[in-house]
This record gives sequence, structure tokens and C-alpha cells, in this order.
Amino acid sequence: MTEVEVLAAAKAAATRLSKAKRLNALLTPPAVVRKSLVAQAKAVRASGVLYGMPVAVKDNICTLDFPTTCGSKILEGYQSPYEATVVTKLKAAGALIAGKANLDEFAMGSSTEHSAYGRVLHPLDRTRVPGGSSGGSAALVAAGAVPAALGSETGGSVRQPAAFCGVVGIKPTYGRVSRYGLVAFGSSLDQVGVLGRSVHDAARVLSVISGRDPRDNTCEDRDSLRLPTVPERLEGFVIGIPKEYFPVDLHPGVRRACDRAIRALKDLGAAIRDVSLPHTAYAIPTYYVIAPAEASSNLARFDGVRYGSRAGGVTTLADLYRETRGAGFGPEVQRRILVGTYVLSSGYYDAYYRKAQQMRALLAQDFRNVFDRGVDLLFTPTTPTVAFKAGERTKDPVAMYLADCFTAPANLTGVPAMSLPIGRVKGLPVGGQFIGQPFLEDDMIEAAYALERAISGTDEA
Amino acid sequence: MSVTPDEVRQIAKLAELSVDEEHLPELAAQMSRIVDYIAQLGEAGGSGGTGDHAKPFIPGPDAIRLREDVVAPQPLEGKISDFAPAFKDGFFLVPKLGAFDAGEETA
Repeated sequence: MTEVEVLAAAKAAATRLSKAKRLNALLTPPAVVRKSLVAQAKAVRASGVLYGMPVAVKDNICTLDFPTTCGSKILEGYQSPYEATVVTKLKAAGALIAGKANLDEFAMGSSTEHSAYGRVLHPLDRTRVPGGSSGGSAALVAAGAVPAALGSETGGSVRQPAAFCGVVGIKPTYGRVSRYGLVAFGSSLDQVGVLGRSVHDAARVLSVISGRDPRDNTCEDRDSLRLPTVPERLEGFVIGIPKEYFPVDLHPGVRRACDRAIRALKDLGAAIRDVSLPHTAYAIPTYYVIAPAEASSNLARFDGVRYGSRAGGVTTLADLYRETRGAGFGPEVQRRILVGTYVLSSGYYDAYYRKAQQMRALLAQDFRNVFDRGVDLLFTPTTPTVAFKAGERTKDPVAMYLADCFTAPANLTGVPAMSLPIGRVKGLPVGGQFIGQPFLEDDMIEAAYALERAISGTDEA
Repeated sequence: MSVTPDEVRQIAKLAELSVDEEHLPELAAQMSRIVDYIAQLGEAGGSGGTGDHAKPFIPGPDAIRLREDVVAPQPLEGKISDFAPAFKDGFFLVPKLGAFDAGEETA
């Protein structure tokens, strides 16, 4: 691309983002995004591998050019004094930061209905949710406003909205991508992920943001991910189909789409093997002990002293903390802080937190057992249903949590996973999920390249 | 209900969170639903061999690399004073408060 073409592309992206305003997927005002994109296009280095590519960034990832609110009132207008490493890497590769995407407050949710700045609409059916918590990022990619966006995952927050919106979502191995500048929710689970309109778009952004970072000691000392070539066939691949991910009450349309994808994988030459991950049913209860426990600790820093908004009219220090947090956090965040405090409190720690950490070890052993027996990858549905109606699950937190039942195991065990569109049910997208071995994202991406070419992600299943 | 409104009030105090009295019954009901759901982890242990002896799982690098313990400049683009609600002479400022509530925490 020439400089003139990049400037034209930046203006076109700004127009598309402006047209997508009705989705409420972007928290940055369109005029601000346009001005910034034009300025970035004029200044960007021309040699980068993402030269001129507009990338939206989930609003729990710190940027210097835009505020970072985490979708919360407590951080309304908050301007980070530093930038996330993933954003610095995107810019260095020539990408243009296309504003901040809406999300469930502090990335806690599966529907992007829990943002202090209003819910995000599904691009294909505005009565439904786009999934969450990276629902803004997914909706912007699905609407064609940007070719890729950054999201973050703690229990499936990239793959689940990718599946609901019909785009590609990748969660890398824990430790593959720097989290410096990602606002912490569950530190033993959080990872930055990527959403893209195709496997290639998502994979090349992942390649750019991956690799070592001296500012994050949980980031492995490894080179950035090398992208595989697009394979003609999948001979030599052994793909496991875990029976626990195909329960009797799986949505029949989701099952049909998965069956078709599995047939396609077989036709491509992959060996298909039935496998078992026996502790899968305990993943969600385990997750909803560990994630709130870590959240209750991580969010203690938002107390009205150092960050964001502050309650007025208080007379004691305890009141300053409590009133600031009570007014600044929304209902779902408050609920999770309370549950986290409960499971860590004296008398309950052994019953819940210790038990959950032990179950986590068993979930990790399940994956190791399968991979040690010659299975390269697992294939599953990403979600048990297609996108649900807005408001349908907000009254019952557990029903909402179950939307992540096929995605949370990869977060609990640190393995990489990705979702890609494998068909539609009455016009609504279905996602298929590959789960890979630690730091072998390239195998996962290679299989996804082949499957993406073999089946149409937009055909009725 | 496995979690009572009184317990929610106490947990909220531990979590430094003000909760409206009128919302306590609803919060207690929702927390009970969540706590009853996660309680199945205990049943898993009771059914034999599912985890009581498993070592807790820690993701990430096998060995955490430690930074050198040296004073270095903060990699901030702006001053700390730019992002704190109030800041003076190297300190975060809070409103003048009547008390530090030393007695309340143990009440």
C-alpha cells in the first residue's frame, strides 16, 4: 500500500465505524476515531507487516490515544499514563488503532449487556446479544467495520462472542502474549486474544502481538508466533472429539454444524478419534470460584484514592472506599466481588477455593492425558447454543455463566484454543472450536486454515 | 437460602462495598444460587478420588523470571499526577476525613 492508499483506507474505516454506531460497539466517538485514524495514517511507519490495517482495541487494554474505561463508571474518562505492550507492538507493525471497543464491565460477562455504557447489539439480529465480554470487538469485526480487533479472555470472552457473531477468535496459550497494560481481572486466567474476519487476519495480528516482554514476567521468554502456511490437506493430524462437549441437550443446529465440520476434517485427511475429558462438567463451577476470587483481589485497587471517580460527601476512610466502589461498580462486578470475598473468607476457603484449585489440576491432567496419547488437536462446538436473546439470562447469573461451558476449560488449563464459523442456524452463526497443545498455536491455525477453506461458514447447517 | 442477607451485609463490609439495604434480599438470593451451584465441587471430592490429593495447578512459566532489584524510572508517558484524582508533593490526596475507623473493622 502507498501512503495515499493508507490514508484513504483510514478514512474508509472511519466511515464504516461511524455507520456501525447503532451497534453501540465502539466507546470512542466516531469523530474522535476519524481524527485519530487520519493522524495515525499520516505518521505510520510503512514497513510494518500490518501497514495500514485498522484494529479496534477492547477497552480494558490501556492506550495513550484514547481513555480506558473497562466499561465501568468507576473509570469514566480515565486516561492511562502508559500503553499496553500489545498496542505498542501493533503500532510498530504499522496497524492503526481504531478506537476502543465496548465490553462487559471489567470483562465480566458473556453477553456485553453488563457495560455501564449500554449493551452491544448483535450485528445480524439486534434483539440478540453478541456474546461477551469482547462483544464490542466481535460486533465491529462482524459488521465489517474493521478486519481485526483485540479482545481479552478470562473464561472464553474472545471465542464465545466470535462464535455468536460469525468471526474468528483466538485465545493463545497462557504466557504467549504480554499482559502489560491489560487491566487485571483473573490473573491466573487472563490472556489478550484476537478477533478477525478470517483465520489469516486473526493469526497475523496474533503473530505480531505475541512474544517475550520484559515488562511481564508471566509472559514466556519465546519468539513471536510464526505463521504456518495454508495446507492443502490435513494428513498426519489426529483430531480428538471429546464426548463431554456433545451432550444430549446440545442445540441440534450446533450439533449438525459440528458433524459437518468433522466430516470435512476427515475428508481433508485428518484422523478423527473419540476421546474423553472426564472432568469437563466441573469446569464452570471451578471457574466461578477461581475467577471471582482473583477479581475480588484485583479490583481492590479501585478505591477512589488512586484511580478514576471518587464518591463525595463522606466522612470516614471506610466510607470513601465503600461509597466509591458501591457507586462505581455495576451489579455483575459487585456480585463477583462478593462471591470472591465469600469463597476466600475464613471457614470457606477449603470448601471452595482449595477444592477448585485441585479440580483445576484434574482438568489440566485430562488434556495432558489426551495429548500424550497422540492426539494433536481437539475439535468441539464453541458454545452450546447460538446467540441468545438480550435480557434472557440477566436475571439468572448461573444460566449466563453456562454460556462459557465449552470455553472455560482452556482458560483454566492455559492451553490455546480458537473459534471459527462453521455454519448458521436460521441465519445465526455457529462456532467450531479447536483446542491445541501449549505453545502449538501453529498446529491449531493450520487446521483452521484448512477447515475454513473446506466449508462455508455462512451456509445453513 | 445458603447465603442470608445478614451474611451479604458482612461480606460487603469485608469487600469495602456499599450495598443498598433494599437490594440485600435479591443479592442474597443470587449469591445463594451461585454458591449452591459451585458447591458441586465438594460433592465431586466426596465421590472418591477426584481431587483431594491433586496439587493445585499454576499456569505459566515453570520458573518465574525475577527482575533485578534496582530502582528504575517508571515507563509512564505522563506524570502520576495526571491520572490520580488529586495529587500533591508526591502523595495521593484524599478528602480530610474524620476518622480512620479503627474500631469499626473489628466490630
